[in-house]
Amino acid sequence: MNIVKREMKANAKALIFWCIGVLVMVGAGMGKYAGMNGNGDTINELMSEMPASLQAIMGTASFDLSTAIGFYGLLYVYLIVMATIHAVMLGSNMIAKEERDKTAEFLLVKPISRSTVISMKMVSALVQLLVFNLVTLVSSIIIVERYAGVDETTGTIYLLMIGMFLLQVLFLIMGTAIAVFSNNATKASAVATAILLLLFILSILINLSGNPDLLKYVTPFKYFEAESIINHHQLEPFYVSLTGILIIALTTISYIYYQKKDLNL
Amino acid sequence: MNMFLQELKAYQKPTIIWSISIVAIVILFMALFPAFSRDADEFMKVLEGFPEELTRAIGLTFETLTNVLGYFSYAFLYIKLCGAVQAMNLGLSIVSKETRNKTAEFLFTKPVTRTQVLTSKLLAAVTSLLFTNLLFLFSVIVTVEIVKTADYSRQGLWMIAASLFFLQLIFLGLGMFTAVFIPRVKSVISVSLGLVFAFFIVGMISSSTDDEGLRYLTPFNYVNDYYIIEHLNYEMQYIGIGLAIICLTVILSFVIYRKKDIHSV
Repeated sequence: MNIVKREMKANAKALIFWCIGVLVMVGAGMGKYAGMNGNGDTINELMSEMPASLQAIMGTASFDLSTAIGFYGLLYVYLIVMATIHAVMLGSNMIAKEERDKTAEFLLVKPISRSTVISMKMVSALVQLLVFNLVTLVSSIIIVERYAGVDETTGTIYLLMIGMFLLQVLFLIMGTAIAVFSNNATKASAVATAILLLLFILSILINLSGNPDLLKYVTPFKYFEAESIINHHQLEPFYVSLTGILIIALTTISYIYYQKKDLNL
Repeated sequence: MNMFLQELKAYQKPTIIWSISIVAIVILFMALFPAFSRDADEFMKVLEGFPEELTRAIGLTFETLTNVLGYFSYAFLYIKLCGAVQAMNLGLSIVSKETRNKTAEFLFTKPVTRTQVLTSKLLAAVTSLLFTNLLFLFSVIVTVEIVKTADYSRQGLWMIAASLFFLQLIFLGLGMFTAVFIPRVKSVISVSLGLVFAFFIVGMISSSTDDEGLRYLTPFNYVNDYYIIEHLNYEMQYIGIGLAIICLTVILSFVIYRKKDIHSV
């Protein structure tokens, strides 16, 4: 329990900054929506005829930008990017920082097992992800409803946020796994974020090429896309289970490997 | 001179990795151009079925977007993102790494002034960026020449591609400036990613909503690629702001760094 408290305290400031960031993002983003007048149906019709690669480059996808939720869908991509960067850095830092700051010895000579250490750190990280997610959720609901007026958007926002939370957890664990496997503590978060950037750019390339093929399973950024969630009102069960499996697999590997890890003290 | 060479050597590996990644992104994006160009042609035929006033409104932007130059500008957005992270990392590292690696005492007991130290470091960083940019320019010119379907303005391409260096200098300055303020940068990548992505997202919001006010806030939008394609010219007021930021951040960093409390243990 002490570890959880300690971790929360160490990350409190960063978390507050991130929350302010996401608040500004939702507020400013949706504020822009208010300034935009509806494009009208003809443009929407035209847009929907557009091949996927062109939509990607025009930056619209098949969102109905004249509705608040459609515009929110546009923002969602960036919310996801923010949330996952936060998560992956949290995950890799919580493991790597003990070695980097030379506190590993202090921590690991305490009468607790390494798996307890990891579990406690994980609990604290999950709480932080939850806080991040709830701040996004509440601010989104309040702000989007101000523009939408219709209640049915709230359900969609819940779904979008569940998708975001799954990705957050996935990237948290991914960061942890990378840090556990990396021999160089200072490089761990750099590697983790490099992989994240790579996956993000890959998802853009997939949008651009129009035919996703196998690659869409490789990048989690394609798992929960605002477009399909808004249009079909559900998360795709296949991707939910895929994410679940990945999370479980990576967690297990991290636990097992961390037990035996050679630490640079 | 020794310091300069030492720094160059220290950043050799990351610089090479960044350069290769950026070149890889260029190649990946440009490899998709032929398919994209086919899609665009097909859509042009669809466009003919729509009312004329509508196609005229959308057609103009459309033609800019779908030729090789417009397509490159789209890819360039993500190259800028990577380039900005690289430059920000460099800026943060050159100032903060002596403290982090506990080499400050070793360095600052040498008979050199802090100004000399920072100048060598800055020059080494600029050299690294130059190297990346040369490789980048070369790869762009070759790939664009290979995939082009029609003639394009070579001057426009040069002007867009060259703006990467300008953007990187801004972020290098911002990185240095940030690092002289924070007493101890524990992890370079967390700070740089957070800041770069904040600017990037503001940039995306600003360009997807055509907000002129927000444009001043984010270096990503100081050079507008589509403006270059149309006018073959930079927007001078933004270039001015960029240059002012570079000068101010660098000068202020020097002033503050000379008096900064540097932890030696």
